[in-house]
Amino acid sequence: MPQIPLHLPTPPSQPPENPLPQLLRTPSGLAIIELQGTINTPPPSSSSSSSTTPVGKLVFPTYKPDVYGEDDTKWMKRVYFYVGENQRMTGEVKKLGKPFAVIRRRERGDADVVMEGVDVEGEGEGLVGEELEIAEIVRWKIVFAMRPEPVTGDA
Amino acid sequence: MATQQGEGGVPFSVAHDLRQFRLLELPAELLELLDSPTPPPLSIKSQAPPASSGTFNAKPAYAVLCTPSRTYQLRQVQTSNSVFITQATLEAHEDEIPVPTTCAIASCGATLELHPADTPALRYLEDVLPIYDIVDGEVDASGNGKSMADVFKDIPLSEGQCKQGWEEVFAFEFAGSSWMPSANTLLQVWTAVNDAAASESVPLHKQFLTDDIINALDDRGYPESLIQAILTRLGYDDQKDAGWSCLDRSRTMMFVGETLLEAKLASEDYLIAEFLGVWKDSVPELWREDVDLHTLEGRYNVPSDKTIRSSKRGAKTAPAASKASAGSSSRKWHEKFGRARKK
Repeated sequence: MPQIPLHLPTPPSQPPENPLPQLLRTPSGLAIIELQGTINTPPPSSSSSSSTTPVGKLVFPTYKPDVYGEDDTKWMKRVYFYVGENQRMTGEVKKLGKPFAVIRRRERGDADVVMEGVDVEGEGEGLVGEELEIAEIVRWKIVFAMRPEPVTGDA
Repeated sequence: MATQQGEGGVPFSVAHDLRQFRLLELPAELLELLDSPTPPPLSIKSQAPPASSGTFNAKPAYAVLCTPSRTYQLRQVQTSNSVFITQATLEAHEDEIPVPTTCAIASCGATLELHPADTPALRYLEDVLPIYDIVDGEVDASGNGKSMADVFKDIPLSEGQCKQGWEEVFAFEFAGSSWMPSANTLLQVWTAVNDAAASESVPLHKQFLTDDIINALDDRGYPESLIQAILTRLGYDDQKDAGWSCLDRSRTMMFVGETLLEAKLASEDYLIAEFLGVWKDSVPELWREDVDLHTLEGRYNVPSDKTIRSSKRGAKTAPAASKASAGSSSRKWHEKFGRARKK
């Protein structure tokens, strides 16, 4: 029965700038969004150099920490997710009853980054099996449980 | 930034290549460990081979998450909604200025739940350890060729739980294999230990050098590791190193009484009076007066007014005689047997 180490989160030295409200920010910048249905994106055009497809935007209409203060929680009750130009989903921010550990395979490349001052290249190479790591512990999620509704052009 | 969140909104994009992440639901006690200043090392034990790249993606047939002392079984639960894991990034599209964006980088159709695994390690150990049964000075059993570490590797429990079970069954490494002594053998070795202590004036109830006992039994041919296993199991929890031992009085009393009964599993029942006498003669002089059937509550039956037998007798899961004593902390195990019988 093979035993695989599950490494603990190691916060990145330079956290990415996170556009989400403070509450939803995590050291690694990971967050969880849950929605009913799927997001269909067109196949990436071959001319595009981008590796992502923009699909819309998240709007927190009543999130105004500079007005209501950072402790205000009423904004959590309403989040809009505009998909494309004409659809909108309404959702909310919820605390997870049991927080989620986001688990990913630790890439071999990561192992070469000398984390604990141990060089695993060379002699250890063949011995290093698959390893997993907890990338983040996420305690909140944004849930869109309702069907999308049509909206007109400018939101 | 406030403008973005309020009016303009946070741009949302989806990565072309969604990655494989898993979401693991954290029970409160595990979360507490992870949040502590010194989180313990975690590992996943699974039956799938580590080299295959399919292990992580495929539904695990049987996988457990281990902390040093606890074990959780992993169960996959399908989610009805789409769950995206997003990453904060800086993105630019069509020559625009890069803006902070939330990008979906992974999608999860299932989450993993954790359930405490409470099967005692001794259940697994009883299956994999050959019985070390000394009959007329000989042991007629072939070893499993496995070290303690090899045995633990195949048990879907944490290191701490394996170790506890290992001590409970008095398991030991000897001649390149791992073994579990029979009740008869335990009794033989214990009697030898007790006799040696008496003749060499080794105070079992106080601190003594473990080697004094081991050396005194040198010519008896018992595996040193077995003697050590008994002294460790019967010792105080905080006195398990540095070559010293000190036996715990109530643990020892219970062990001797229980082992006496279990060694009789295959033969006639003891007469109660005879049993009490033998028990008294089998413990250190100072503790003779401690002999009392209450000590063995739940571990014996009285089939008649005058006879007594181990409660393991008649339990289907315990084949007579060859089963070793499970030791004192296996109380629940005995209760299970008891309940099964009452039905």
